[in-house]
Amino acid sequence: MTKAAALAGHKNSLRGQVAIVGIGLSPVGKVPGRSPLWLAAAAAKQALADAGMQKNEIDGVLASPAMAAQFHRFSVAFSEYFGVRPTFSNTLQVSGATAATMFSIAAAAIHGGLAETVLVVGGDSLLSGLTPELALRSLTESRDQQYEMPFGIPVANTFAMTAHRHMKEFGTTPEQLAQVAVTQRQHAARTPGAQQTEPITIEDVLNSKMVTSPYRKLDCSLISDGGAAFVLTSAERAKALGIEKPIYILGGGECYTHEHIFLMPSLTTTGAVQSSQWAYDMAGYGPKDMHTAGVYDCFTGTVIMMLEDLGFCPKGEGGRFVADGQMTYGGQIPSNTHGGLLSFAHSGIPGSLFHFHEVVAQLRGECGARQVAGAELGLVHSLGAGFATNATTILGTENTL
Amino acid sequence: MISLEDAARKPLPSPDADTAALWRGLRDGQLLLQHCGDCGNVQFYQQGFCRHCSGENLTHRPASGRGKVHSFSVVHRAPGPAFKNDVPYAVLLVELAEGPRMISTYTGGRSDEVTFDMEVELVCEPVSDDIALPRFKRA
Ligand SMILES: [Zn+2]
Repeated sequence: MTKAAALAGHKNSLRGQVAIVGIGLSPVGKVPGRSPLWLAAAAAKQALADAGMQKNEIDGVLASPAMAAQFHRFSVAFSEYFGVRPTFSNTLQVSGATAATMFSIAAAAIHGGLAETVLVVGGDSLLSGLTPELALRSLTESRDQQYEMPFGIPVANTFAMTAHRHMKEFGTTPEQLAQVAVTQRQHAARTPGAQQTEPITIEDVLNSKMVTSPYRKLDCSLISDGGAAFVLTSAERAKALGIEKPIYILGGGECYTHEHIFLMPSLTTTGAVQSSQWAYDMAGYGPKDMHTAGVYDCFTGTVIMMLEDLGFCPKGEGGRFVADGQMTYGGQIPSNTHGGLLSFAHSGIPGSLFHFHEVVAQLRGECGARQVAGAELGLVHSLGAGFATNATTILGTENTL
Repeated sequence: MISLEDAARKPLPSPDADTAALWRGLRDGQLLLQHCGDCGNVQFYQQGFCRHCSGENLTHRPASGRGKVHSFSVVHRAPGPAFKNDVPYAVLLVELAEGPRMISTYTGGRSDEVTFDMEVELVCEPVSDDIALPRFKRA
């Protein structure tokens, strides 16, 4: 706590100023007949009920965009659909990193007086709202129109090239990549409502169809429907409302190193190093202090690289760290305990909000059979667009303030 | 969201004010790099400012066309219907002899021949009247 105390006076810091007081999830996986707005609203309704609040108490709405919805301003369309009239709102878009940025921006808005209570919300239906061909092509469409797309480079390919280089530089093996999928499937088996719960083995992963080398089908995240929502308010107001277990935002950091994959400074060390360092500094805690983590897992190799860049193990050691059981129960940092994008659900940008839902539930001690004993400090790392965008949030219970 | 008809067509670049010279060069068989007269930075792709010093004293010079494979990934599942007939194909992250890196695809051989640090050479392959794509073959 001495380090935390020393950094508590960090100039203009958000540390401990804002709390998550309500969390909600829509059904996830295959949810036919439900629009992205319905998925977002179902999650929001649950988050409000969880907070014990009425919707007229919401004066801010931050949303992520939905690929299967035609709205240019998803947060505005959502507010109309849900029946709220916010005086602070925006739709944020930095691909997969959006989730963590939503928490920092909501906290800054509350701390800075732009809003008192902000609903952070996202929902999309990539599985039921788009054909598989359109879903795939929409993902390609997010790459550069002149220098990447003409070559038929799916976004998966940019991540694949980073993992491939990691294998070449550090000897990371296909078996180690596969272990990430196996571990997270074990986690999902204990998560009610997860999309994929059937146990898999390393051989199953290695025998699944090649998608874009070195990634096979089971190295890739799911395509899903689903939404998640959170109610954030000031620490003072959380106290006044008598919220039982407020979860505080202790630190946040972002880093944007490139747009095009060919301008990524290093294929094997990412902006997660800086984004997490900023978040750790603000929180006054380091990687060794974390009890659980939500690590963005669009692909298995992404998790291995992030465990290194977030400081949980040295650079190049991620494969061995995972094979050694360090990302599951009893290991150094139980991660993606809900099953993550690989097994719980991946409905595009809202997918990383599921990691937040899980880490908050862990810190509240509500995870039942998959509870990490004594979890008080957690990290969520969101990233996207071939590591172009990185954002980290550190969360903690009242004891960690 | 794009339509199914659009998804079935391969995307082609639409050159803009910053990049028209690059695509004209490729059509004429040359890969142009920008050289900064102020700081010496060499950059791909083309834009109005040097990414290093923000200077605008930039000149286009043809690249040697030689480079090596910094990383690669062989696509087995096409990203949409337009690329279905091409699989498997190797997407390359090429490091040019002049320093800059670029995305391309392997041509003139099988995708399973590609290895890390393999020496490659530029081939400009016309794909429409106005556009030639910079691909790479084994050097
Ligand atoms: Zn310059």
